[in-house]
Amino acid sequence: MVPPQCVYFRMLYHYLDQKRKEGSARLHATYLVSGKFVENGTTSHKVSVVREDQLEDAKSKMSLTVSVHVYSVQKAVLKDSGPLYSADYDAVKENLRNCSRYSAIRCADAVPRSSAEVQQACETTQAPPPETEQIKANHSNLASKPTSKQPKGIMGMFANKNVSKNQDSSKEIKLEQKEVTPVVETSKTKPAPKTNPVTNFFAKQAAKKPDKSIKEEVEIAQTSSSVDEKPTSPPPKAETPVKEELAKDAVVEKDTSKTKRLEHSDSEEEKNESRRKKRRRIKKPEPDSSDDEVIPDSPPQLQEKRDPSPSPEIQVKKEPVAVSHSDELSDCKRRKRRRVLKSRTFVDDEGCIVTEKGYESESYSETEDDFKFSQPTPKNPNPPKPSTGKKEEEKKSKKAAVASNKSTKQASIMGFFQKK
Amino acid sequence: MTTLTRQDLNFGQVVADILCEFLEVAIHLILYVREVYPSGIFQKRKKYNVPVQMSCHPELNQYIHDTLHCVKPLIEKNDAEKVVVVIMDKEHHPVERFVFEISQPPLLSIRVDNNTSAISDTLLSHVEQLLRAVILKISVCDAVLENNPPGCTFTVLVHTREAATRNMEKVQVIKDFPWIVADEQEVHMQEPRLIPLKTMTSDIVKMQLYVEERAQKAS
Repeated sequence: MVPPQCVYFRMLYHYLDQKRKEGSARLHATYLVSGKFVENGTTSHKVSVVREDQLEDAKSKMSLTVSVHVYSVQKAVLKDSGPLYSADYDAVKENLRNCSRYSAIRCADAVPRSSAEVQQACETTQAPPPETEQIKANHSNLASKPTSKQPKGIMGMFANKNVSKNQDSSKEIKLEQKEVTPVVETSKTKPAPKTNPVTNFFAKQAAKKPDKSIKEEVEIAQTSSSVDEKPTSPPPKAETPVKEELAKDAVVEKDTSKTKRLEHSDSEEEKNESRRKKRRRIKKPEPDSSDDEVIPDSPPQLQEKRDPSPSPEIQVKKEPVAVSHSDELSDCKRRKRRRVLKSRTFVDDEGCIVTEKGYESESYSETEDDFKFSQPTPKNPNPPKPSTGKKEEEKKSKKAAVASNKSTKQASIMGFFQKK
Repeated sequence: MTTLTRQDLNFGQVVADILCEFLEVAIHLILYVREVYPSGIFQKRKKYNVPVQMSCHPELNQYIHDTLHCVKPLIEKNDAEKVVVVIMDKEHHPVERFVFEISQPPLLSIRVDNNTSAISDTLLSHVEQLLRAVILKISVCDAVLENNPPGCTFTVLVHTREAATRNMEKVQVIKDFPWIVADEQEVHMQEPRLIPLKTMTSDIVKMQLYVEERAQKAS
């Protein structure tokens, strides 16, 4: 079984070899080197794109070189890796959905499991608790949070609450997550059709995301064994593992429909993890016009390392929620002095009209906060103003405005009414 | 699809903005690729969703910015025929000339979004795609050019139509940044070799990039 990309690499190598033997064209190659790399005691799998003259150096730095192959061939000496990305930007963008078509390893014998097989697998893999502890540590810290938040929120929707069952099912789901992750990454096919009416409810959601559906099937397999089947709407008990999963997502607070909730799950983080590599190369098409963005590749090597668990992502999301609550605390009315950002216009030595922003202290009361404290729009009236000076001022004003935003406390909304 | 003239929609201004932005990126990239300045002053930035090299040196950036600022009114009125980046050796003899030939069709039909009366997004993204291709070509132009001698400098020339330069001399767009008529030796090169690099054709602008290279660079 030869992956399709090997044929491509061999062709490149043969072409390069042939041209060099002929001596007809002066060609330069870049190589992709991957292998084990030890740094500060930690071992990682490092993949880098290097120029030909740096190839031996890169190979020597790795403790174990797994693969070396020709990445690209060009006539010019590449001073940096920019053209490598630009060259196939349009092609990748067009084929964004199936750009891994020619790079994924495929095996004809790998077929999705039927629901019966999945059920069997669940029963055999109901392992003792220590294993589940490890798995929980591997994934994010979601399990601990949702158990405390279970009583709130959507609990009113469900008739029965069974805590012990939830804990069991949460462990089972965690187990299945670990199992599912490797399955997700290797196969993208949909599971076998389900006959269970309960499963039919989930089948609609599964139609949207194939890897998500594998996980749902697992949960369904669990619940079908413990829940009475009803031909009409899904019973509340069947919802409990779903609810468990939903509650796990501490970030999602305001979804109104069940269907939307089902889409937010732990597999989201898994998908993000698996896509993060691709996102670095592909998902750059944000609206451009930001010249300040520095791409985190160091020239002339492109380095990619596998990311750790997705817990930082969740913590980052939680932070803005915490910050907004603290701002609403103060409500006392006092006369205070504060520094306000004000802009002054004057003519400098060169005769240019310059607008500068500076802080001036003034007294204010809490009730007037809502009106007076609004960010002034930056004024840039004349082209003769130096562009670098302009940028520095804008940056200063932006930083200052942000800093002052954070320092001022948000007054209560009643201030608006009392003024009248 | 609506047929419009240049006066509508401030069309000239839009094209001038796009072109000046592009020329700024292109000039920085030429300076990087042809090693006019050491590569240490350059920093990777993003433009048109691809990495490009831009200089960090404030005076150099200021010079390029002011130059293009003065060129912009000419492009708006379609007075600029060519913008040339000339790389000169120590004796101020040109060794390479990167020529951007610009032309804008006088009467044109451009795709306009009927709701907002703005130039349609598909047209702009198509233009972006074409500019990206030109940037890529500049990045690898080393393949077709000989190395330059050390100690090179650069300058920017603008070839205008008719009497547009007289207007420029009258009205100083930027104070203390005067434009002067170029010397003959800067304009014409001895025994040039012509190397076409890229042609770009879109509804709003047509551009051609080629390089004139002196046959013997080492003086």
